[in-house]
Amino acid sequence: MKKTVIGGLCAILLSAVSTLAHAETIRIANHGQAGIDAMKATVEKIEKKYGVTVEVVEYPAPDKDYLTKLLTELGAGNAPDLFSIPTTAAVADMVEAGYLTPVTKEIKAWDGYANFYDVAKKLAVSPDGETYVMPFMLGIQEIYYRKDVLDKAGISTEQPKSWKELLDRAAEIKKKTGAYGLLFPAGVSWGSGAFDEGFQHLIVGSKTPQLVDADGKLDLNGEGVKDAFDVYKQLIDNDLMPTQPLLGPEPWVVPKYQMFPSGKLAATTCGSWCYIFDWGRESKNPIPELTKVVGTWTVPGQNGGQYVLANLAAPWAVNAKSANVELAKKALMEIGSVETQVSYAARIGNIPASKDAAKNADFQKLTELVPIHAAAENGTFLKQASGFGTVAEGVARATEALLRKETDAAGAQKILVDYVKETLGDEVVK
Amino acid sequence: MALNVHERRTERQLLLILLPSLALLLAFVIYPALYSVYLSFTNEALTGAAALRPRFVGIRNYARLLNDAKFWNALLVTFLFVVGSAVIGQFVLGLVSAMALRRRIHFRRLFSSIILLPNAAPEVVAGFMWISMLAGGEQATLSRIVSFFGVTPADWLQVFPLSMIIIVNIWRGIATAMILLTAGLSTIPTEIYEAARMDGATPSQMFRRITLPLMMPTILLYMLISAVSTIAVFGLVYALTRGGPGGATELVSIYIYNQSFTAFQLGYGAAVAVVALLISLVLGIGYVRAMKVEV
Repeated sequence: MKKTVIGGLCAILLSAVSTLAHAETIRIANHGQAGIDAMKATVEKIEKKYGVTVEVVEYPAPDKDYLTKLLTELGAGNAPDLFSIPTTAAVADMVEAGYLTPVTKEIKAWDGYANFYDVAKKLAVSPDGETYVMPFMLGIQEIYYRKDVLDKAGISTEQPKSWKELLDRAAEIKKKTGAYGLLFPAGVSWGSGAFDEGFQHLIVGSKTPQLVDADGKLDLNGEGVKDAFDVYKQLIDNDLMPTQPLLGPEPWVVPKYQMFPSGKLAATTCGSWCYIFDWGRESKNPIPELTKVVGTWTVPGQNGGQYVLANLAAPWAVNAKSANVELAKKALMEIGSVETQVSYAARIGNIPASKDAAKNADFQKLTELVPIHAAAENGTFLKQASGFGTVAEGVARATEALLRKETDAAGAQKILVDYVKETLGDEVVK
Repeated sequence: MALNVHERRTERQLLLILLPSLALLLAFVIYPALYSVYLSFTNEALTGAAALRPRFVGIRNYARLLNDAKFWNALLVTFLFVVGSAVIGQFVLGLVSAMALRRRIHFRRLFSSIILLPNAAPEVVAGFMWISMLAGGEQATLSRIVSFFGVTPADWLQVFPLSMIIIVNIWRGIATAMILLTAGLSTIPTEIYEAARMDGATPSQMFRRITLPLMMPTILLYMLISAVSTIAVFGLVYALTRGGPGGATELVSIYIYNQSFTAFQLGYGAAVAVVALLISLVLGIGYVRAMKVEV
């Protein structure tokens, strides 16, 4: 009996000691199996290097639902220690809400930082001059078009040089092939994509190429905003862009995963992830000989110029209310490693922000991404400001009204301005 | 009148028994409701500066509601949804089912099981199940069925969004209507029907002059319960349409969610919720008055 009791006590003691040895746990929010797989080796590395347990919590896959869950938990004070932010537009607002820990000092002292592309470094700096996110992956966006469809119909595959040329090309595609000529994501259901994957492309090449003035006020009454909405208007009114699927609950499914692979949609904005995740090796509906049949155009400016949009692809940040901020910061630096970048690139198709990735043997195997990586330095972007999340939602509402043919370009601009003013107050809009 | 010792002890015991329920009610119903009222007077948000430093804004949120076309649209959509699905659809089909089940019909058990089955599925599950029926244009199950009969297929949730969510909610709610109305029917003494039949009353006359008047308290109770519960429907419609396209199915419940958790404006979302609560209260008071119940 005594032996049993002593044995039992020893077992409890051992269990307690082993628990203490792994007493520290950090929680990481991740979403989608591809993202979780991409982080697997990094998670193991963090556990081994710092003797901690990493608990990976899977968050909802659609960006909108992910952000809702994350912000709700941050507001309630029970969010994970480390998390990715599904849209760059949300970063400034999260900083203003006090949710993120500044990592400027740590990231600049970290040996991986020097090799980041300048565009990644600039994108990571918030309006207050501090860095709060690890800018380790870039979403490089352009217009992806079906070379085979255009060639077969005798349509030029030359780079369009202005918005007018782009619209004319879309009209020619519709006329000669019957396929939709061009898609810009739009509408409320697409979430932040209506802004990130649609509207931004046009604004950077418009007459008013930024949405923030020097004082940090939102400049939404500019001519460029109206002109950008007018591009949508023309695409929709002339039936050059599919509208019905965009009004459904998962608007990307039909145009991106069905119509484009089948050639019923000939051109769409997309990011480097389309070569891997949407139509490439990780796709459920891959396009055979993808790099041969799908080409890219930069987005032309309103009256010339060419624009390749760079975004931070789901940058990671440390929860300001983390129980162990220092440990979470160390883990953040591990997430920024070239190995993690390449792992993400292979599974999701984002572009590593580190120039060093070019020397990585595994990255070199991703032949479709190598040239995009080299061109990342030329990426352009919108300056971020607090309130951008609301602007993104306002753009989604304005473009939805255009999709439903309820308004014109000026009306869409009014919807955007009114929504932002109603939500954030008149004083934030110039 | 003073209570005697025994009555006082019984009262104390009753209070003790009720205490846990009261505590739960206070913690999970009354406190959140009062907190929502407080929130509705602030600019509290889930992100941006207002998340860090929320301010008291007086009646600004309520004033904004008055000029918010989307709110009025949500009210109208909710009204049509409640009237179409609960007040008309579920009631009529529920009453027909209840009356049919009162008779000795063939396959009675199978019939009642079929009607009860949709109610067993959680709202969201039912919503996702119907997506395969209605969404996807030519690929939708309903499209394939109607194509067989020569009808042009459509993307049903895009073309007839409100009608579709009304139909799905009728499908889901017939069981509740049927159960409540069956209970009401069972309270009517069969002798009254027998006497009427002997006097030569037709089935239609019996329905209008006996069934309906005697069922009125049950019908009113059903109307109140179904109206309030239909106002609160969320998961079913969110799974089907998320309130789209263009707000065509944006019920007040979805509008509250969208304001609070998509636009992240908790204060404004709370103001909408308070107004929705007031509407439900008005319905409740209307019911109490209709029943001439002394409060």
